Amino acid sequence: MSTAWQFYLTTVLVYLGVDVIACWGLNLQYGYTGILNFAYVVFQSAGAYTYAVLTLGPVYRGDFQQYIVGMSLPFPLPIIAAGVVGGLLSAVIGVVGLRRLRSDYQAMVLLVIGLIATTVITNASGIFNGAAGLSLIPKPLQSHLNLTLIGYQWAYVLLVAVFCVIIYWFVHRITQAPFGRSLRAVRDHEQAAAALGKNVTALRMTSFIIGGVIAGISGALLVGFIGAWSPGSWLYQETFIFFTALIVGGTANNAGAALGALLVPVAFLEATRFLPQFGGPGLIDALQWVAVGVLTLGFLWFRPRGVLPERKRSLRLPEIAGPPGPAGQSGPAARPVGAPRVEDARRRA
Amino acid sequence: MAELTALGFGILTASILALAAVGFTVQFSVTNILNLAYGDVMTGAAFVAYVASSRGLGGWWGLVFGGLFGAVFSLALNRLIYTPFIRRGAGLFTMIIVTIAVSLILQNLMQAIWGPGFFSLHIPAGASVHALGMALTESQLVVVAIAIVAMIALHSMLSFTRLGKAMRATASDPELARNCGIRTGRVTDIAWLISGLFCGLAGVALVVDFGSFQSTTGGAFLVPIVAAAVLGGVGQPYGAILGALVVGIVSELSATVIDPAYKDVTAFLVLIVVLLIRPQGIISEVATSKAVAA
Repeated sequence: MSTAWQFYLTTVLVYLGVDVIACWGLNLQYGYTGILNFAYVVFQSAGAYTYAVLTLGPVYRGDFQQYIVGMSLPFPLPIIAAGVVGGLLSAVIGVVGLRRLRSDYQAMVLLVIGLIATTVITNASGIFNGAAGLSLIPKPLQSHLNLTLIGYQWAYVLLVAVFCVIIYWFVHRITQAPFGRSLRAVRDHEQAAAALGKNVTALRMTSFIIGGVIAGISGALLVGFIGAWSPGSWLYQETFIFFTALIVGGTANNAGAALGALLVPVAFLEATRFLPQFGGPGLIDALQWVAVGVLTLGFLWFRPRGVLPERKRSLRLPEIAGPPGPAGQSGPAARPVGAPRVEDARRRA
Repeated sequence: MAELTALGFGILTASILALAAVGFTVQFSVTNILNLAYGDVMTGAAFVAYVASSRGLGGWWGLVFGGLFGAVFSLALNRLIYTPFIRRGAGLFTMIIVTIAVSLILQNLMQAIWGPGFFSLHIPAGASVHALGMALTESQLVVVAIAIVAMIALHSMLSFTRLGKAMRATASDPELARNCGIRTGRVTDIAWLISGLFCGLAGVALVVDFGSFQSTTGGAFLVPIVAAAVLGGVGQPYGAILGALVVGIVSELSATVIDPAYKDVTAFLVLIVVLLIRPQGIISEVATSKAVAA
């Protein structure tokens, strides 16, 4: 393989790993818990900025970029800190954003929080260098490893792969555990879960925070690779890409989330690079976004449960007569409570 | 007297906001869909006005074409996309993703067609009129006048006609309205037409006020619109007018105190604070019946 192709392949692999990790975090929130977090990319961005300011070192007077904190911590610490900041930010925003509102209102609150974050970070140039963003962010261990350019690229692929394995193991464990079952119960029928003694608020909050930690880590891994981060990298539309990935791949299915990350942000958006350039500036980008929107609508219409649908977990119980539960007006699903068949299969409603 | 000047701009912004927020809320009250593609239909109306002006039908003709486009397009959007999804059993959860997808598609289609540049309707601003320390141009005064006329027309329609009564009935209880023999399907269509008309008018008024626009202009204006609608009590046309006045004036006045770059943030914060403290808004009747706050 020529060097150029290796460089391209490793870059795509790193993007894939980062997107897969981000999709797992969002899947935990949206797929398993039913939180429409339209500010998801803000948490990824929080991780990216944390990584940046903890590796860039102190700011000098007259430096071309201004930012807060300014430290240069050794390798694993900035990534861990990115996760911590993602989680803390989720805790703060969760208190405000997860109030008991109708689900579309809640989505709107989170969307608006995302817009506020973009506006503030763009205009307050002292925090993360404003609209220009941060650049020349050091790559982890690059000065220590003494590798060739391509060698380092492959090393980074390995690093991202290790994180993928750790995070997959983690989300797989918690979604298979009784905790995951509780999350699905909250998603499918909040009142029923509460009636069974589940602390709905705490469960939603925990899922939101874990998702935030994962988003933060994905942001750190991404920025450590590309070396620059600005408000243009995390417009609210980016969150929509992750939602599309989940809808295409399959919500509440970690393999589906990974497949979605492969199909939408990586395959679908990378494929257009190989098209001949045509039209004016920005035309291909605009058509890409149109295609993403059409893809979402198409999947919601034809295959709302995605390529790899959520596994049906059903349990045969002895026949008992139970009154049909109240038909919930809002919320993801209105399923009779106390019906003889207990299953988690989710009506996308 | 910077505050009085800002107040003038606040009233201007509020007029445009009121047009848009009333349209938004009329449609929400009847259909229960939070249509986040609303801002992009506004931009669409502005582009229609732009095309009309480049064909020689410039000036205030734009309002006519923009309004017509908004009405027809909104109706089509509902008939072709939103209603089919709801018939398939899509809940609030799915519908919000659907409307965002539609918004992305519209915004980027417009960018694909017209490119990322800025456009202008070239409506002469006219002489500047000074009164009570406020200074507005003639074209800005026309915008305010149009908003006032549209509000009065809507108020008369809702209060004094059978159609208005049917719309109010459908908004407060669709089942009951249907059982009383109101053709709720037709009422829904008319609600989308009226909402779209206001949307189109607001879109053209917005770009007359801004002077220039691009494919993202309407989408960026969506948050203040939603803020105004929710603040007044979503589904309440009079509430939306009230909300528009508060949001418009607060955001313009805040620009005299803080960095104008954060003007938008004020509207965003108003929305979030309202949603957290009183999500049913000032006039809460419809919002309560639609269970906006669990």
